[in-house]
Amino acid sequence: MSKDPFKTRLEIAKDKISKKNLYNKKDNPSSIGTAFKLSTELVSAVAVGTIIGFIFDKTFGTKPWFILIFFFVGVVAGITNVIRSAKNMQK
Amino acid sequence: MAANPMTQFNVYRIGPEIKLGAFDISFTNASLFMIISSLAILIIFNIGSKKNSLLPNKIQLLAELSYTFVSKMISDTAGLKAKPYFAFIFSLFMFVLFCNMFGMIPYTFTVTSHIIVTFVLAAFIFIGVTIVGFAKHGFGYLKLFVPSGVPAILLPLIVVIEVISYLSRPVSLSVRLFANMMAGHTMMKVFGGFVISLGIVGGWLPLSFSVALTGLEILVAFLQAYVFAILTCIYLNDALNLHH
Repeated sequence: MSKDPFKTRLEIAKDKISKKNLYNKKDNPSSIGTAFKLSTELVSAVAVGTIIGFIFDKTFGTKPWFILIFFFVGVVAGITNVIRSAKNMQK
Repeated sequence: MAANPMTQFNVYRIGPEIKLGAFDISFTNASLFMIISSLAILIIFNIGSKKNSLLPNKIQLLAELSYTFVSKMISDTAGLKAKPYFAFIFSLFMFVLFCNMFGMIPYTFTVTSHIIVTFVLAAFIFIGVTIVGFAKHGFGYLKLFVPSGVPAILLPLIVVIEVISYLSRPVSLSVRLFANMMAGHTMMKVFGGFVISLGIVGGWLPLSFSVALTGLEILVAFLQAYVFAILTCIYLNDALNLHH
């Protein structure tokens, strides 16, 4: 049949290994884990900011102002959170 | 079993009602499953570490593999300085993992699908990490909120943003675990209900869906425990090695 059966077998094995590595990279649990992280980080910072604003409004009696300011500060904090963890992912 | 997909999350009392002042501290099904998972961890790791044979049997292998897994995770993310906290992170990871996995058995109760459970865990971590940070660096730990190279005009705004982002850690940590577990279990229940209502003619499609979902849920159960532990490591890393 083929001239060099060992070489063909070697090639097939190498191909299999590279395919396996590719699959492993895609299925790496830590990368899925960090992906799960991003969505909640954005939302939770907004929620915390809003709650802080609500508490300030309650104590100082300045009904809509602190909640408005801290809502947007919370949005900014959430975006910084996401950017920071995305930067960590790239490392 | 009830048709409502949310009844699986009901907490009910087992045994007599116990009151401590204004608090109801009766024994519930949630406490039962916490005790079951803690006992399972204790039993498995006791048996696994009893015989130190050179050729490990299955339980010993399980114990050793999980030990090296968590130990590698800590040294990768938080470095050698985090070694003293190994016991805490290991028990945290195992507890969340076993609670999630016990929830995958039919007719059991998933402890981690309740936000109060996950929030208490996250708040505990948050307070602990803050204490560790202040103990290691004193008031220098507050530098975490002041990034270097920021113009003085922007500083008040940046500090407020950093404080909010720091305070949002326990919220995001707890909400992630709780939402994943609850959404997954609800979805499985809903698809299970479709199988019954479509009957033997059309029930095969949702049935195959629920089989696939069960596999996905087992992955999620492991993954969320892993994420919970690895984020604890990351927060611990921030507290131990202050660099900004």
